[in-house]
Amino acid sequence: MNQGWTAVATWHWVANDENCGICRMAFDGCCPDCKLPGDDCPLVWGECSHCFHIHCIVKWLNSQQVHQLCPMCRQDWKFKE
Amino acid sequence: MSSPTCSKTIAYEQFLKKIDQYWQAHCRQMIMIRSIFLFLDRTYVLQNSSIMSIWDMGLDLFRAHIVGHHIVQTRTVDGLLQLIERDRNGEAVDRQLLKSLLRMLSDLQIYQDAFERKFLEATDRLYAAEGQRLMEQRDVPEYLLHVEKRLSEESERFLHYLDQSTKKPVINLVEKQLLEQHVSHILQKGLDQLLHENRIADLTRLYTLFSRVRDGLKEQCAAFATYIKNTGKVIVLNIDTDPEKDKDMVQLLLDFKAKIDNILAVCFTSNEKFINAMKESFEHFINVRQNKPAELIAKYVDSKLRAGNKEATEEELERLLDRIMVLFRFIHGKDVFEAFYKKDLAKRLLVGKSASVDAEKSMLSKLKQECGGGFTQKLEGMFKDMELSKDFMLAFKQHMQNIDAPGGIELTVNILTMGYWPPYPPMEVHLPAEMVKLQDIFQKFYLFKHSGRKLQWQPTLGHCVLKAVFSGGNKELQVSLFQTLCLLLFSEGEEFTFDEIKDHTGIEINELRRTLQSLACGKARVLQKLPKGKDVNDGDKFLFNDEFKHKLFRIKINQIQMKETQEENTSTTERVFHDRQYQVDAAIVRIMKTRKTLSHNLLISELYNQLKFPVKPGDLKKRIESLIDRDYMERDKDNPNQYLYVA
Repeated sequence: MNQGWTAVATWHWVANDENCGICRMAFDGCCPDCKLPGDDCPLVWGECSHCFHIHCIVKWLNSQQVHQLCPMCRQDWKFKE
Repeated sequence: MSSPTCSKTIAYEQFLKKIDQYWQAHCRQMIMIRSIFLFLDRTYVLQNSSIMSIWDMGLDLFRAHIVGHHIVQTRTVDGLLQLIERDRNGEAVDRQLLKSLLRMLSDLQIYQDAFERKFLEATDRLYAAEGQRLMEQRDVPEYLLHVEKRLSEESERFLHYLDQSTKKPVINLVEKQLLEQHVSHILQKGLDQLLHENRIADLTRLYTLFSRVRDGLKEQCAAFATYIKNTGKVIVLNIDTDPEKDKDMVQLLLDFKAKIDNILAVCFTSNEKFINAMKESFEHFINVRQNKPAELIAKYVDSKLRAGNKEATEEELERLLDRIMVLFRFIHGKDVFEAFYKKDLAKRLLVGKSASVDAEKSMLSKLKQECGGGFTQKLEGMFKDMELSKDFMLAFKQHMQNIDAPGGIELTVNILTMGYWPPYPPMEVHLPAEMVKLQDIFQKFYLFKHSGRKLQWQPTLGHCVLKAVFSGGNKELQVSLFQTLCLLLFSEGEEFTFDEIKDHTGIEINELRRTLQSLACGKARVLQKLPKGKDVNDGDKFLFNDEFKHKLFRIKINQIQMKETQEENTSTTERVFHDRQYQVDAAIVRIMKTRKTLSHNLLISELYNQLKFPVKPGDLKKRIESLIDRDYMERDKDNPNQYLYVA
């Protein structure tokens, strides 16, 4: 009879693309400013369903003067909850 | 008179005594004369500088008429030299006589001209001959003892009768003839043996004596370094490539280092040059054999940090780790160490076998101090994953109370971030329905909390506690997930063939063979195999062993590891080399980007400056070729030895 089970799982990101559209680095890797992938360099999704490293998209959004647009599809950028 | 030589020596001694008597008498009489003519001496003589005082005149007369006489002087000096030689040979001589006559020579101011030169020559001859003779006859420790004795005797001689002004040249002569001439010979003949046998007193003597002669310590230092290199090489190279000996290598190295450290501190007064030579030598020999020492050090640390290692207290362990770090410092290929250390750390963390979190953390901080934060980032990430998993499991337990879940199994999951841990090959197995269900509940819960992620289960790393009912009583079995899958089959039926088990569990065939071997052919045989035997073959049948008995209630059944470590080992090494390739590529591009054009040799030398691990020039060439193929750089059309950076 099985009583206790210690299992091990690894997690990775599920994105609709291989690479981040801004830094062109793999999503399984991290953005150029970080050294290690994982929780410290998370991904975020926009309502347009495009996905970037959070550091990359924040940098992009801060550089936009007027409208904050998704760099891929030019729609208004809104973080998907 | 028994023999002519004897009569001669006696004649010398008598002659010397006679001279001494005359001299004493002369002095007494001169003092008398001076006392009588005191007034004359103090007035007229003093006022006329051209006239000698009475005492000086006495000395002058004695010198001119007696000692100045050729035959008298040679006989006196020769006699003195003979007497001193006999003293040096350990015979008892009249030291008073020697002292008095030598005083006479100084008073007459002919000590230097008539005596000292000849005396030094005689000393030189004596010790040159003695050095030659004894170097051949005696072994080094005895010889050194003798030299030490000689030096102290000679200094003593100056207290007794010789003039202090001669001390320095004589001691120099002894040092030169007995030591300086033989420095390399002594080192060649004796140093290795002394070091090998750890003869503290003799080594101390060697050091003190050699510190007296020019270049003595320099040569000793060089010989010391050679000894360390040679001895270390024997330990590290392990010429028979006997894996058993490899196991002991780190312990041997630690012992060797401790011994050398002790010698340095006690015998060589912690001389900085020697310490540096020691460090250089260690660094040299430990890197003679690539990668293996780094790997073995990592494994050694693992064996010490693993639970069940009760031989050391916390403090001892801490000290041991410090000593290991010293060895680690010498290693060039630190990435090899990191790879193996990481692999072992992963095992310790996932199987819960780490002896103490404090020791793990302390090792980590030592590594961080030594190699910087970048080196340990991933290792720290592993610890963080373990903590995050623990927190997450608390939340999961609460969640489980609120839903209707298949009871009986308590699930704990370690969730790993891909990049931190060593890569594990994906493997699919067939879990029993209840386990699949539980796994799905967890997965759903996890993905609900962390969107945008995917979970990949790692069945190779899981382990379980099983409750088993034998006729001899209930037992708890601690087994791996693979073992669990095999054992659970037997709660449904009595007998299975190898192929049936394979189909039911879906475990990869080699893995399954090892698993069944551990259950049916290991120490704790909870399964019976038909036919019996050590190896598992395709047609074998397996039965549940109801008769199973064991004195413990909780039993751990180890997976059979042999072949696995062999595979893991090569894959870990391969991974390191793979990572190194990227580092080489990056370094080449970095250099070319700043320099734009560079000759082959300059590029190679810059690369060696930047790369922190050993590489062969041939490998570098291959990487350069590969970068040329990928259009990162190109050869100069006019000069094939010149590279151009392609933007």
